[in-house]
Amino acid sequence: MQSNVVVLDNGGGLIKVGLGGERDPSTIIPNCLYRPLSSKKWLHPSPTSSDDPLDLTSASVRRPIDRGYLINPDLQRDIWSHLFSSLHIPPSQSSLLLTEPLFTLPSIQRATDELVFEDFNFSALYVADSPSLAHLYEASLRPTGIVSKAQCSLVVDCGFSFTHAAPVFQNFTINYAAKRIDLGGKALTNYLKELVSYRAVNVMDETFLMDDVKEKLCFVSLDVPRDLKIARKSGKDNLFRCTYVLPDGVTHTKGYVKNPDEAQRYLTLTSGDQPAQNKELDELQVTETPKDRKKTDLTKNEFDLTNERFLVPEMIFHPADLGMNQAGLAECIVRAVNSCHPHLHPVLYESIILTGGSTLFPRFAERIERELRPIVPDCYQVKITTQEDPILGVWRGGSLLASSPDFEAMCVTKSEYEELGSARCRRRFFH
Amino acid sequence: MDEDASNPFRRMSSRTRKVASKMAAALASSDNRTQAALARLEALENDNGVIEAVEINDDDEASLDDDDQVYMQKKQSKSMKRKTRQAKALEARKAPRTFIELLHEANLESWPPHVPSYIRAAVGPPSSTSRRHFCAVCGSAANYSCVRCGTRFCSCRCQNIHNDTRCLKFVA
Ligand SMILES: [Zn+2]
Ligand SMILES: [Zn+2]
Repeated sequence: MQSNVVVLDNGGGLIKVGLGGERDPSTIIPNCLYRPLSSKKWLHPSPTSSDDPLDLTSASVRRPIDRGYLINPDLQRDIWSHLFSSLHIPPSQSSLLLTEPLFTLPSIQRATDELVFEDFNFSALYVADSPSLAHLYEASLRPTGIVSKAQCSLVVDCGFSFTHAAPVFQNFTINYAAKRIDLGGKALTNYLKELVSYRAVNVMDETFLMDDVKEKLCFVSLDVPRDLKIARKSGKDNLFRCTYVLPDGVTHTKGYVKNPDEAQRYLTLTSGDQPAQNKELDELQVTETPKDRKKTDLTKNEFDLTNERFLVPEMIFHPADLGMNQAGLAECIVRAVNSCHPHLHPVLYESIILTGGSTLFPRFAERIERELRPIVPDCYQVKITTQEDPILGVWRGGSLLASSPDFEAMCVTKSEYEELGSARCRRRFFH
Repeated sequence: MDEDASNPFRRMSSRTRKVASKMAAALASSDNRTQAALARLEALENDNGVIEAVEINDDDEASLDDDDQVYMQKKQSKSMKRKTRQAKALEARKAPRTFIELLHEANLESWPPHVPSYIRAAVGPPSSTSRRHFCAVCGSAANYSCVRCGTRFCSCRCQNIHNDTRCLKFVA
């Protein structure tokens, strides 16, 4: 009997869902309910229409996932059930490949199994972690590359809730070596909200708007002291200044970048190590006058950004800037590698894979390489691959796995679950 | 989706914020700087606004629950088993569980030291002590910090803005 496999990458920010064997998921929707100002009800994001007509200005949001983990199974059930019925997926006639973050607590695993088998009646379940799936997909793209030949890589997954550096060996995540930074896209958006609210307009309630601002305008700096100086300049010399227009609720319900060309000017800056240019900048430095930085005006329908554009992604590289007592991404990678057998170190540094939506900031990979090079032994090569689509990479790996001939044997069936219970079944996925 | 059964005033009051209990604790603490820093980090994980939104009056909060009940019953009025789970869920919603609470209950400290766990996977403190500081007002390199709350600033101008508008914002 041929049964369909539903591949569900259940992220804290986005759900990616579709059928095993397909190249792309059928749909990607936010993993939340939201309540726009125009509605008294919590609404489901629409899985079908890509151009959502809803005005999400000041919408409240409820998420089933907190700090990466499923804490509200009831809310998750609502979201899944709406999703499955709109996609015409019959769970009782399907197997499920579900992603789950590393180190999920046993109580959360139990609640997840209940959801899958008791609420949705899936016929079988396989639980996978993101790093091994991202690895699998990259290995499939380059069958003769090092990731594939060594069956080994270091996956950096920088998603919505947190960031992991996780070594993968023989297609399994080495979980005792995985390291986590408690920062992801959600914290970055919230930090951007804070900065803009302090400096220009109160946007504390504008989650969806500020996600858009972050995605369109933030980038990773290759030289923070230099860029801070440039950001203080006035007029055309400030390569970072750009303007974002807020929705007015009448002619446009979404915000937009006022002058996209202006916003791209920072790309003319290339290398960070240019002593001559630095000196020149010191001399030219113009201290910002108060009128350059516009004062808070709640009636204004736009705001300017300058150094916020790179100070936000900067958090991932230096969480200590924010008062977090955690190492930044480069050190996180080194610690993950050092937790593995020394034989693996050279291969891991040579096969770093970036996945997750927060790796989409321009110059993310370049910056990691710059920070890694001085702290990785000279005899090792550092090679970083950004996934072609970091949001879909994990799902695509899941789709590959689900269409492999061994997949069925790897699953726990509903009757096994009923007979053995959650904890015993879970041992099968214990890698 | 569902017919409206909620309090018409909810929309207005849901925008107002009440100081959550941990904020109140922070306020009472003598060590404002530490508390303000912790509250600030906590705030970065919030879904709505900077301070966890808590409905300001109790009736209002109740109407939110009714809302959900209507919603849940529609979805799952099928079996008894689900009803009991739903009852449990409603109970749970009265005291929403955060990941930190679940983590605490899991008692990972009692696991044998060789078993990988959420706690052991944390990357740990940075190795170099060279901490950089940016001005909370304008974002420039900041060499000074506020004596009351520890927020960094770069100049008198930014210090004044800080004092006027945001000092201890995360606490009060
Ligand atoms: Zn300043
Ligand atoms: Zn202060």
